[in-house]
Amino acid sequence: MARIAGVNIPTNKRVTISLRYIYGIGPTNAQEICDKLGIPAERRVNQLSDDEVLKIREMIDRDYRVEGDLRREVAMNIKRLMDLGCYRGLRHRRGLPVHGQRTHTNARTRKGKAVAIAGKKKVTK
Amino acid sequence: MARSVWKGPFVDGYLLNKAETSRASGRNEIIKIWSRRSTILPQFVGLTFGVYNGHKFLPVQVSENMVGHKFGEFSPTRTFTGHSADKKAKRG
Repeated sequence: MARIAGVNIPTNKRVTISLRYIYGIGPTNAQEICDKLGIPAERRVNQLSDDEVLKIREMIDRDYRVEGDLRREVAMNIKRLMDLGCYRGLRHRRGLPVHGQRTHTNARTRKGKAVAIAGKKKVTK
Repeated sequence: MARSVWKGPFVDGYLLNKAETSRASGRNEIIKIWSRRSTILPQFVGLTFGVYNGHKFLPVQVSENMVGHKFGEFSPTRTFTGHSADKKAKRG
């Protein structure tokens, strides 16, 4: 069990895979970290020496914005748009898609589950 | 895709003149503009623009955070017609 960047405890998977359990580190960043520290891709987390774990931890602390900090940054960006009163902010406020997608149908990820309209009769044959 | 940096921000030229004259006059009156496509520049900060949305000129007080956005973003062209029941669904 290795704790990196606060709460994350990746398992006995390959280093490149388990690093991705950290919010803010995806395939590219995980690969980059391993390359920079010279850790072979086949190495698993439980085979890492304490020194290597420490190096990874330091590197993430220094060069990457992860977890709480990143979440806060994203939330701040959205909040900025909402306070500004611009179109994108309005879409965030309403919980509708922001990037110009259609809302006539679909858009269920943003709108949530469909709610039946009260009083609307179904057509029966 | 983002606009090339070497072109600089896009602004309709007459806006600069309008802003200049309104600054010079000193009175804080609404500058009516149709150019929704223009970028908000730092020199517009503090002025109030009436941005046309195809129907009315909506007053937009330019603040520092707005720099880099377009005028049109602050003047919605569509009336939002939602179902009141949707409110429950959005924020549960």
